[in-house]
Amino acid sequence: MIDLKHLSIAYGETSVVKDVTLHVPEGGSFALVGESGSGKSTILKAIAGQITNWTGRIRLGEHDLQHGRDPALIRLCQMVFQDPFGSLHPRKTVDTILSEPLSIHGIRDQNKRVLETLDAVGLARKFRFRLPHQLSGGQRQRVAIARALMLDPPVMLLDEPTSALDVSVQAEVLNLLKTLREERGLTYFLVTHDLPVVSFLCDNLGILRQGELVELATVDQLKQQRFSSDYGNELLSKSF
Amino acid sequence: MSLLTIENLRVSFPGEQGAVEVVKGISFELGRERLGIVGESGSGKSMTGRSILRLIDKPGSVTADRMEFDGLDLMTLSNRRMRALRGARMSMVMQDPKFSLNPVMRIGDQIAEVLSFHSKLNARERRKRVLESLEAVRITDPERVYKLYPHEVSGGMGQRIMIAMMVILEPDLMIADEPTSALDVSVQAQVLDIMDDLVTRTGMGLIIISHDLNMVARYCDRILVMFNGEIVESCQASELANAQHPYTQGLLASMPTLDEHRDRLPVLDRTQLGGV
Repeated sequence: MIDLKHLSIAYGETSVVKDVTLHVPEGGSFALVGESGSGKSTILKAIAGQITNWTGRIRLGEHDLQHGRDPALIRLCQMVFQDPFGSLHPRKTVDTILSEPLSIHGIRDQNKRVLETLDAVGLARKFRFRLPHQLSGGQRQRVAIARALMLDPPVMLLDEPTSALDVSVQAEVLNLLKTLREERGLTYFLVTHDLPVVSFLCDNLGILRQGELVELATVDQLKQQRFSSDYGNELLSKSF
Repeated sequence: MSLLTIENLRVSFPGEQGAVEVVKGISFELGRERLGIVGESGSGKSMTGRSILRLIDKPGSVTADRMEFDGLDLMTLSNRRMRALRGARMSMVMQDPKFSLNPVMRIGDQIAEVLSFHSKLNARERRKRVLESLEAVRITDPERVYKLYPHEVSGGMGQRIMIAMMVILEPDLMIADEPTSALDVSVQAQVLDIMDDLVTRTGMGLIIISHDLNMVARYCDRILVMFNGEIVESCQASELANAQHPYTQGLLASMPTLDEHRDRLPVLDRTQLGGV
Protein backbone atom coordinates (compact mmCIF):
# COMPACT_ATOMS: atom_id res chain seq x y z
CA MET A 1 0.00 0.00 0.00
CA ILE A 2 2.86 2.34 0.85
CA ASP A 3 5.96 1.96 -1.23
CA LEU A 4 9.04 4.12 -0.71
CA LYS A 5 11.93 3.66 -3.12
CA HIS A 6 15.27 5.41 -2.61
CA LEU A 7 13.60 8.29 -0.83
CA SER A 8 15.99 11.12 0.00
CA ILE A 9 15.22 14.53 1.41
CA ALA A 10 17.62 17.39 1.92
CA TYR A 11 17.25 20.88 3.29
CA GLY A 12 19.90 22.88 1.46
CA GLU A 13 23.22 21.14 2.07
CA THR A 14 21.97 19.00 4.94
CA SER A 15 20.53 15.70 3.95
CA VAL A 16 17.87 14.59 6.42
CA VAL A 17 16.65 11.36 4.88
CA LYS A 18 19.11 9.16 3.03
CA ASP A 19 17.99 6.57 0.50
CA VAL A 20 15.13 4.97 2.42
CA THR A 21 13.35 2.04 0.81
CA LEU A 22 10.48 0.30 2.51
CA HIS A 23 7.16 -1.31 1.81
CA VAL A 24 3.96 -1.56 3.84
CA PRO A 25 1.36 -4.05 2.58
CA GLU A 26 -2.34 -3.21 2.41
CA GLY A 27 -3.91 -3.47 5.85
CA GLY A 28 -0.48 -3.53 7.46
CA SER A 29 0.67 -1.45 10.37
CA PHE A 30 4.18 -0.11 10.20
CA ALA A 31 6.09 1.94 12.75
CA LEU A 32 9.08 4.16 12.17
CA VAL A 33 11.10 4.61 15.33
CA GLY A 34 14.14 6.71 16.13
CA GLU A 35 15.39 9.62 18.18
CA SER A 36 14.42 13.19 17.44
CA GLY A 37 16.31 14.45 14.45
CA SER A 38 16.45 11.00 12.89
CA GLY A 39 14.16 12.13 10.06
CA LYS A 40 11.13 10.02 10.93
CA SER A 41 8.69 12.93 10.94
CA THR A 42 10.23 14.23 7.72
CA ILE A 43 9.39 10.97 5.94
CA LEU A 44 5.85 11.22 7.25
CA LYS A 45 5.54 14.76 5.99
CA ALA A 46 6.78 13.73 2.57
CA ILE A 47 4.13 11.02 2.32
CA ALA A 48 1.50 13.50 3.48
CA GLY A 49 2.55 15.93 0.76
CA GLN A 50 3.75 18.62 3.15
CA ILE A 51 7.31 18.42 1.86
CA THR A 52 7.78 18.49 -1.88
CA ASN A 53 11.54 18.55 -2.44
CA TRP A 54 12.09 14.83 -2.05
CA THR A 55 13.76 12.56 -4.57
CA GLY A 56 13.07 8.92 -5.24
CA ARG A 57 9.63 7.41 -5.47
CA ILE A 58 6.63 7.44 -3.14
CA ARG A 59 3.79 5.19 -4.17
CA LEU A 60 0.48 4.87 -2.37
CA GLY A 61 -1.53 1.95 -3.73
CA GLU A 62 -1.63 2.50 -7.47
CA HIS A 63 -0.89 6.18 -7.17
CA ASP A 64 2.54 7.70 -7.73
CA LEU A 65 2.93 10.76 -5.56
CA GLN A 66 3.52 14.01 -7.42
CA HIS A 67 5.80 16.77 -6.27
CA GLY A 68 3.70 19.74 -5.30
CA ARG A 69 -0.01 19.86 -4.65
CA ASP A 70 -1.67 16.56 -5.29
CA PRO A 71 -5.46 16.48 -4.90
CA ALA A 72 -5.70 12.70 -5.28
CA LEU A 73 -3.46 12.28 -2.23
CA ILE A 74 -6.01 13.75 0.14
CA ARG A 75 -8.50 10.97 -0.53
CA LEU A 76 -5.75 8.39 -0.11
CA CYS A 77 -4.18 9.31 3.18
CA GLN A 78 -4.93 11.44 6.19
CA MET A 79 -2.87 12.30 9.21
CA VAL A 80 -3.43 12.36 12.97
CA PHE A 81 -1.11 14.73 14.79
CA GLN A 82 0.66 14.46 18.11
CA ASP A 83 -0.91 17.28 20.04
CA PRO A 84 -4.72 17.35 20.11
CA PHE A 85 -4.54 20.79 21.73
CA GLY A 86 -2.81 22.31 18.73
CA SER A 87 -4.32 20.41 15.84
CA LEU A 88 -7.99 21.39 16.17
CA HIS A 89 -9.28 24.83 15.21
CA PRO A 90 -10.20 26.47 18.53
CA ARG A 91 -13.20 28.37 17.16
CA LYS A 92 -14.82 25.64 15.11
CA THR A 93 -17.26 23.15 16.57
CA VAL A 94 -16.71 19.42 16.26
CA ASP A 95 -19.47 19.39 13.64
CA THR A 96 -17.74 22.02 11.48
CA ILE A 97 -14.37 20.30 11.85
CA LEU A 98 -15.83 17.01 10.68
CA SER A 99 -18.05 18.28 7.86
CA GLU A 100 -15.48 20.62 6.33
CA PRO A 101 -13.66 17.90 4.35
CA LEU A 102 -17.03 16.65 3.08
CA SER A 103 -18.02 20.09 1.81
CA ILE A 104 -14.67 20.60 0.12
CA HIS A 105 -14.96 17.30 -1.71
CA GLY A 106 -18.64 17.77 -2.49
CA ILE A 107 -19.81 14.73 -0.61
CA ARG A 108 -23.49 14.50 0.29
CA ASP A 109 -25.19 13.00 3.32
CA GLN A 110 -23.10 15.12 5.64
CA ASN A 111 -25.38 14.73 8.63
CA LYS A 112 -25.41 10.94 8.41
CA ARG A 113 -21.67 10.69 7.85
CA VAL A 114 -20.77 12.94 10.77
CA LEU A 115 -22.97 10.94 13.13
CA GLU A 116 -21.60 7.63 11.85
CA THR A 117 -18.02 8.74 12.35
CA LEU A 118 -18.73 10.08 15.83
CA ASP A 119 -20.13 6.65 16.70
CA ALA A 120 -17.13 4.93 15.14
CA VAL A 121 -14.63 6.79 17.31
CA GLY A 122 -16.74 6.35 20.42
CA LEU A 123 -17.72 9.97 20.96
CA ALA A 124 -21.24 10.58 22.30
CA ARG A 125 -23.45 12.55 19.91
CA LYS A 126 -23.88 15.32 22.48
CA PHE A 127 -20.32 16.41 21.71
CA ARG A 128 -21.22 17.27 18.12
CA PHE A 129 -21.75 20.98 18.66
CA ARG A 130 -19.06 21.57 21.25
CA LEU A 131 -15.87 23.54 20.78
CA PRO A 132 -12.47 21.87 21.28
CA HIS A 133 -11.78 23.62 24.59
CA GLN A 134 -14.86 21.95 26.05
CA LEU A 135 -13.33 18.51 25.47
CA SER A 136 -10.66 16.56 27.33
CA GLY A 137 -7.37 15.56 25.68
CA GLY A 138 -8.59 12.06 24.90
CA GLN A 139 -11.85 13.33 23.42
CA ARG A 140 -9.98 15.81 21.27
CA GLN A 141 -7.74 13.09 19.93
CA ARG A 142 -10.89 11.14 19.04
CA VAL A 143 -12.12 14.17 17.10
CA ALA A 144 -8.79 14.34 15.28
CA ILE A 145 -9.07 10.65 14.39
CA ALA A 146 -12.67 11.17 13.27
CA ARG A 147 -11.59 14.06 11.04
CA ALA A 148 -8.96 11.86 9.43
CA LEU A 149 -11.61 9.19 8.78
CA MET A 150 -14.19 11.50 7.18
CA LEU A 151 -12.96 10.94 3.62
CA ASP A 152 -12.53 7.18 4.13
CA PRO A 153 -8.84 7.11 3.25
CA PRO A 154 -7.22 3.67 3.07
CA VAL A 155 -4.01 4.98 4.69
CA MET A 156 -3.66 6.72 8.06
CA LEU A 157 -0.48 8.55 9.01
CA LEU A 158 -0.07 8.74 12.77
CA ASP A 159 2.48 11.13 14.25
CA GLU A 160 3.00 10.13 17.91
CA PRO A 161 -0.77 9.88 18.33
CA THR A 162 -0.73 9.16 22.08
CA SER A 163 2.40 10.75 23.49
CA ALA A 164 0.56 13.86 24.68
CA LEU A 165 -2.03 11.80 26.57
CA ASP A 166 -2.19 10.30 30.05
CA VAL A 167 -1.52 6.56 30.24
CA SER A 168 -5.10 5.53 30.91
CA VAL A 169 -6.35 7.75 28.07
CA GLN A 170 -3.56 6.43 25.88
CA ALA A 171 -4.96 2.92 26.40
CA GLU A 172 -8.40 4.06 25.18
CA VAL A 173 -7.01 5.71 22.06
CA LEU A 174 -4.75 2.75 21.26
CA ASN A 175 -7.70 0.37 21.59
CA LEU A 176 -9.72 2.61 19.29
CA LEU A 177 -6.97 2.69 16.66
CA LYS A 178 -6.71 -1.08 16.78
CA THR A 179 -10.46 -1.54 16.42
CA LEU A 180 -10.70 0.91 13.52
CA ARG A 181 -7.93 -0.84 11.69
CA GLU A 182 -9.62 -4.22 12.07
CA GLU A 183 -13.05 -2.93 11.06
CA ARG A 184 -12.00 -0.85 8.08
CA GLY A 185 -8.87 -2.62 6.92
CA LEU A 186 -6.84 0.58 7.26
CA THR A 187 -3.11 0.76 6.65
CA TYR A 188 -1.23 2.51 9.45
CA PHE A 189 2.05 4.33 9.17
CA LEU A 190 3.08 5.32 12.68
CA VAL A 191 5.93 7.52 13.82
CA THR A 192 6.86 7.16 17.47
CA HIS A 193 9.64 6.71 19.98
CA ASP A 194 7.50 4.62 22.30
CA LEU A 195 8.45 0.99 21.68
CA PRO A 196 5.69 -0.55 23.85
CA VAL A 197 3.10 1.25 21.70
CA VAL A 198 4.69 -0.31 18.62
CA SER A 199 4.48 -3.70 20.29
CA PHE A 200 0.74 -3.23 20.81
CA LEU A 201 -0.28 -1.67 17.52
CA CYS A 202 2.10 -2.69 14.74
CA ASP A 203 3.26 -5.68 12.70
CA ASN A 204 6.57 -4.32 11.46
CA LEU A 205 8.93 -1.52 12.27
CA GLY A 206 11.82 0.37 10.80
CA ILE A 207 14.61 1.87 12.87
CA LEU A 208 15.92 5.17 11.64
CA ARG A 209 19.15 6.84 12.63
CA GLN A 210 20.34 10.16 11.24
CA GLY A 211 18.20 9.70 8.16
CA GLU A 212 19.30 6.19 7.40
CA LEU A 213 17.21 3.09 7.80
CA VAL A 214 19.32 0.95 10.12
CA GLU A 215 17.03 -2.02 10.37
CA LEU A 216 13.68 -3.39 9.25
CA ALA A 217 12.29 -5.76 11.86
CA THR A 218 9.13 -7.63 12.74
CA VAL A 219 7.25 -6.91 15.91
CA ASP A 220 8.18 -10.38 17.18
CA GLN A 221 11.81 -9.37 17.10
CA LEU A 222 10.84 -6.37 19.24
CA LYS A 223 8.87 -8.54 21.67
CA GLN A 224 11.77 -10.91 22.10
CA GLN A 225 14.14 -7.93 22.21
CA ARG A 226 16.26 -9.37 19.47
CA PHE A 227 17.20 -6.75 16.92
CA SER A 228 20.02 -7.53 14.56
CA SER A 229 21.59 -4.06 14.60
CA ASP A 230 23.58 -2.64 17.50
CA TYR A 231 21.68 0.61 17.34
CA GLY A 232 18.34 -1.20 17.62
CA ASN A 233 19.48 -2.91 20.78
CA GLU A 234 20.78 0.40 22.11
CA LEU A 235 17.30 1.90 21.62
CA LEU A 236 15.82 -1.06 23.47
CA SER A 237 18.10 -0.56 26.44
CA LYS A 238 17.08 3.10 26.67
CA SER A 239 13.40 2.27 26.67
CA PHE A 240 11.81 1.97 30.10
CA MET B 1 15.13 13.17 61.26
CA SER B 2 12.96 13.89 58.31
CA LEU B 3 13.74 16.76 56.01
CA LEU B 4 10.21 17.63 55.11
CA THR B 5 7.02 16.91 57.01
CA ILE B 6 3.62 17.57 55.57
CA GLU B 7 0.39 16.94 57.39
CA ASN B 8 -3.08 17.45 55.99
CA LEU B 9 -2.10 19.70 53.08
CA ARG B 10 -5.04 21.21 51.22
CA VAL B 11 -4.99 23.41 48.14
CA SER B 12 -8.13 24.99 46.76
CA PHE B 13 -9.12 27.45 44.09
CA PRO B 14 -12.37 29.41 43.95
CA GLY B 15 -14.75 28.18 41.26
CA GLU B 16 -18.18 29.12 39.99
CA GLN B 17 -19.84 26.69 42.40
CA GLY B 18 -17.71 27.36 45.46
CA ALA B 19 -14.12 26.41 46.13
CA VAL B 20 -12.61 23.50 44.21
CA GLU B 21 -10.22 21.46 46.27
CA VAL B 22 -7.37 20.15 44.10
CA VAL B 23 -5.29 18.68 46.92
CA LYS B 24 -7.43 17.08 49.60
CA GLY B 25 -5.57 16.69 52.85
CA ILE B 26 -2.44 14.75 52.04
CA SER B 27 0.34 13.89 54.50
CA PHE B 28 3.80 12.55 53.91
CA GLU B 29 7.36 12.76 55.14
CA LEU B 30 10.56 12.98 53.20
CA GLY B 31 14.02 12.09 54.39
CA ARG B 32 17.21 12.29 52.38
CA GLU B 33 15.77 10.00 49.77
CA ARG B 34 14.25 10.01 46.32
CA LEU B 35 10.49 10.22 46.39
CA GLY B 36 8.31 9.93 43.30
CA ILE B 37 4.84 11.45 43.10
CA VAL B 38 2.86 10.01 40.20
CA GLY B 39 -0.62 10.64 38.93
CA GLU B 40 -2.48 11.75 35.84
CA SER B 41 -3.23 15.31 34.80
CA GLY B 42 -5.48 16.93 37.35
CA SER B 43 -4.47 14.63 40.19
CA GLY B 44 -2.90 17.50 42.14
CA LYS B 45 0.69 16.31 41.97
CA SER B 46 2.15 19.55 40.59
CA MET B 47 0.12 21.62 43.05
CA THR B 48 1.62 19.60 45.87
CA GLY B 49 5.13 20.38 44.63
CA ARG B 50 4.40 24.06 44.17
CA SER B 51 2.79 24.47 47.57
CA ILE B 52 5.93 23.16 49.27
CA LEU B 53 7.83 26.09 47.74
CA ARG B 54 4.88 28.37 48.49
CA LEU B 55 4.51 29.15 44.83
CA ILE B 56 0.73 29.10 44.77
CA ASP B 57 -0.56 32.60 44.37
CA LYS B 58 -3.93 34.11 45.06
CA PRO B 59 -6.74 33.25 44.43
CA GLY B 60 -5.47 29.79 45.31
CA SER B 61 -5.33 28.99 48.99
CA VAL B 62 -3.09 26.54 50.82
CA THR B 63 -3.72 25.18 54.30
CA ALA B 64 -1.92 22.51 56.28
CA ASP B 65 -1.83 21.31 59.86
CA ARG B 66 1.90 21.10 59.59
CA MET B 67 4.38 21.89 56.85
CA GLU B 68 7.93 21.85 58.06
CA PHE B 69 11.20 21.92 56.21
CA ASP B 70 14.21 21.08 58.35
CA GLY B 71 12.56 22.51 61.46
CA LEU B 72 11.25 25.66 59.72
CA ASP B 73 7.51 26.17 59.58
CA LEU B 74 6.82 26.90 55.91
CA MET B 75 3.29 28.14 56.60
CA THR B 76 4.28 31.07 58.78
CA LEU B 77 7.68 32.01 57.37
CA SER B 78 7.84 35.60 56.11
CA ASN B 79 8.10 36.17 52.36
CA ARG B 80 11.60 37.54 52.78
CA ARG B 81 12.85 34.42 54.56
CA MET B 82 11.02 32.25 52.10
CA ARG B 83 12.90 33.94 49.25
CA ALA B 84 16.17 33.23 51.01
CA LEU B 85 15.17 29.59 51.21
CA ARG B 86 14.12 29.14 47.61
CA GLY B 87 17.01 28.44 45.31
CA ALA B 88 19.47 28.13 48.18
CA ARG B 89 18.04 25.34 50.32
CA MET B 90 15.17 24.07 48.24
CA SER B 91 14.77 24.42 44.52
CA MET B 92 12.59 23.32 41.66
CA VAL B 93 13.38 22.06 38.18
CA MET B 94 10.58 22.91 35.79
CA GLN B 95 9.23 20.88 32.94
CA ASP B 96 10.30 22.70 29.85
CA PRO B 97 13.63 24.52 29.46
CA LYS B 98 12.24 26.37 26.43
CA PHE B 99 9.86 28.35 28.61
CA SER B 100 11.70 28.41 31.90
CA LEU B 101 14.99 30.01 30.89
CA ASN B 102 15.21 33.73 30.24
CA PRO B 103 15.52 34.00 26.45
CA VAL B 104 17.43 37.30 26.44
CA MET B 105 20.09 36.46 29.00
CA ARG B 106 23.26 34.49 28.44
CA ILE B 107 23.23 31.08 30.13
CA GLY B 108 26.23 31.75 32.33
CA ASP B 109 24.83 35.06 33.56
CA GLN B 110 21.52 33.39 34.31
CA ILE B 111 23.13 30.79 36.50
CA ALA B 112 25.34 33.40 38.16
CA GLU B 113 22.22 35.35 39.13
CA VAL B 114 21.43 32.71 41.75
CA LEU B 115 24.86 33.30 43.27
CA SER B 116 24.63 37.06 43.31
CA PHE B 117 21.27 36.82 45.05
CA HIS B 118 22.22 34.25 47.68
CA SER B 119 25.96 34.65 48.22
CA LYS B 120 28.62 37.31 48.58
CA LEU B 121 30.98 35.92 45.97
CA ASN B 122 32.67 38.37 43.62
CA ALA B 123 32.32 38.21 39.86
CA ARG B 124 35.39 36.04 39.26
CA GLU B 125 34.41 33.51 41.94
CA ARG B 126 30.88 33.42 40.57
CA ARG B 127 32.14 32.66 37.11
CA LYS B 128 34.31 29.86 38.43
CA ARG B 129 31.40 28.31 40.34
CA VAL B 130 29.13 28.52 37.28
CA LEU B 131 31.70 26.76 35.12
CA GLU B 132 32.07 24.06 37.77
CA SER B 133 28.34 23.52 37.97
CA LEU B 134 28.07 23.27 34.18
CA GLU B 135 30.77 20.63 34.30
CA ALA B 136 28.89 18.81 37.05
CA VAL B 137 25.94 18.32 34.69
CA ARG B 138 28.32 16.89 32.09
CA ILE B 139 28.50 19.82 29.73
CA THR B 140 31.81 19.21 28.02
CA ASP B 141 32.60 22.72 26.91
CA PRO B 142 31.41 25.01 29.75
CA GLU B 143 33.35 28.09 28.54
CA ARG B 144 31.47 28.06 25.26
CA VAL B 145 28.07 27.23 26.76
CA TYR B 146 28.49 30.04 29.30
CA LYS B 147 28.22 32.58 26.49
CA LEU B 148 25.29 31.01 24.62
CA TYR B 149 21.66 32.08 24.70
CA PRO B 150 18.95 29.54 25.56
CA HIS B 151 17.75 29.24 21.95
CA GLU B 152 21.22 28.11 20.93
CA VAL B 153 21.18 24.92 22.99
CA SER B 154 19.20 21.70 22.57
CA GLY B 155 16.37 20.63 24.85
CA GLY B 156 18.47 18.12 26.73
CA MET B 157 21.24 20.62 27.28
CA GLY B 158 18.68 23.25 28.34
CA GLN B 159 17.36 20.90 30.98
CA ARG B 160 20.87 20.16 32.21
CA ILE B 161 21.47 23.91 32.46
CA MET B 162 18.33 24.25 34.57
CA ILE B 163 19.60 21.50 36.83
CA ALA B 164 22.99 23.22 37.07
CA MET B 165 21.18 26.39 38.13
CA MET B 166 19.22 24.51 40.76
CA VAL B 167 22.11 22.60 42.29
CA ILE B 168 24.77 25.30 42.25
CA LEU B 169 24.06 26.17 45.87
CA GLU B 170 23.69 22.51 46.84
CA PRO B 171 20.15 22.67 48.19
CA ASP B 172 18.83 20.15 50.70
CA LEU B 173 15.69 19.52 48.72
CA MET B 174 15.11 19.49 44.99
CA ILE B 175 11.66 19.20 43.47
CA ALA B 176 11.61 18.17 39.83
CA ASP B 177 8.26 18.66 38.15
CA GLU B 178 8.14 16.45 35.04
CA PRO B 179 11.86 16.98 34.49
CA THR B 180 12.05 14.90 31.35
CA SER B 181 8.67 14.95 29.66
CA ALA B 182 9.72 17.69 27.23
CA LEU B 183 12.83 15.73 26.28
CA ASP B 184 13.66 13.08 23.75
CA VAL B 185 13.76 9.50 25.06
CA SER B 186 17.44 9.11 24.38
CA VAL B 187 18.24 12.19 26.46
CA GLN B 188 15.79 11.44 29.28
CA ALA B 189 17.93 8.71 30.77
CA GLN B 190 20.99 10.94 30.66
CA VAL B 191 19.28 13.81 32.49
CA LEU B 192 17.89 11.46 35.11
CA ASP B 193 21.28 9.84 35.61
CA ILE B 194 22.82 13.25 36.23
CA MET B 195 20.15 14.11 38.80
CA ASP B 196 20.56 10.73 40.41
CA ASP B 197 24.30 11.19 40.60
CA LEU B 198 23.97 14.63 42.22
CA VAL B 199 21.49 13.32 44.75
CA THR B 200 23.72 10.46 45.85
CA ARG B 201 26.81 12.65 45.95
CA THR B 202 25.40 15.57 47.91
CA GLY B 203 22.81 13.62 49.88
CA MET B 204 19.91 15.92 49.11
CA GLY B 205 16.26 14.96 49.17
CA LEU B 206 14.59 14.67 45.79
CA ILE B 207 10.94 14.72 44.79
CA ILE B 208 10.23 13.72 41.21
CA ILE B 209 6.74 14.60 40.03
CA SER B 210 5.75 12.69 36.93
CA HIS B 211 3.04 10.80 35.13
CA ASP B 212 5.48 8.14 34.01
CA LEU B 213 5.18 5.19 36.41
CA ASN B 214 8.03 3.21 34.90
CA MET B 215 10.47 6.08 34.99
CA VAL B 216 9.63 6.89 38.61
CA ALA B 217 9.86 3.24 39.62
CA ARG B 218 13.34 3.12 38.16
CA TYR B 219 14.76 6.30 39.70
CA CYS B 220 13.05 6.63 43.08
CA ASP B 221 13.20 4.83 46.39
CA ARG B 222 9.60 5.40 47.33
CA ILE B 223 6.45 6.23 45.37
CA LEU B 224 3.26 8.10 46.21
CA VAL B 225 0.38 7.64 43.78
CA MET B 226 -2.08 10.53 43.65
CA PHE B 227 -5.59 10.41 42.30
CA ASN B 228 -8.13 13.16 42.48
CA GLY B 229 -6.17 15.18 45.05
CA GLU B 230 -5.53 12.30 47.42
CA ILE B 231 -2.67 9.90 47.98
CA VAL B 232 -4.14 6.52 47.18
CA GLU B 233 -1.01 4.44 47.40
CA SER B 234 2.36 4.72 49.07
CA CYS B 235 4.94 2.02 48.50
CA GLN B 236 8.58 1.21 47.93
CA ALA B 237 9.50 1.59 44.27
CA SER B 238 10.49 -2.04 44.07
CA GLU B 239 7.06 -3.05 45.35
CA LEU B 240 5.12 -1.11 42.72
CA ALA B 241 4.14 -4.27 40.85
CA ASN B 242 2.31 -5.46 43.98
CA ALA B 243 0.28 -2.25 44.32
CA GLN B 244 -2.98 -2.66 46.23
CA HIS B 245 -5.17 0.23 45.17
CA PRO B 246 -7.39 -0.38 42.11
CA TYR B 247 -6.31 2.93 40.57
CA THR B 248 -2.62 2.04 40.67
CA GLN B 249 -3.37 -1.44 39.39
CA GLY B 250 -5.48 0.08 36.62
CA LEU B 251 -2.70 2.47 35.61
CA LEU B 252 -0.12 -0.30 35.52
CA ALA B 253 -2.38 -2.56 33.48
CA SER B 254 -3.28 0.12 30.95
CA MET B 255 0.32 0.60 29.87
CA PRO B 256 1.45 -1.43 26.90
CA THR B 257 4.62 -3.42 27.47
CA LEU B 258 7.48 -4.26 25.14
CA ASP B 259 6.26 -7.82 24.98
CA GLU B 260 2.59 -7.09 24.42
CA HIS B 261 0.21 -9.96 23.72
CA ARG B 262 -3.09 -8.54 24.91
CA ASP B 263 -5.60 -7.87 22.17
CA ARG B 264 -7.10 -4.87 23.99
CA LEU B 265 -5.66 -2.80 26.80
CA PRO B 266 -7.76 -2.61 29.96
CA VAL B 267 -9.20 0.87 30.47
CA LEU B 268 -9.65 2.55 33.85
CA ASP B 269 -13.23 2.60 35.02
CA ARG B 270 -13.41 6.02 36.61
CA THR B 271 -16.99 5.69 37.79
CA GLN B 272 -15.99 2.69 39.89
CA LEU B 273 -13.16 4.66 41.47
CA GLY B 274 -15.62 7.30 42.57
CA GLY B 275 -13.57 10.02 40.90
CA VAL B 276 -14.35 12.75 38.41
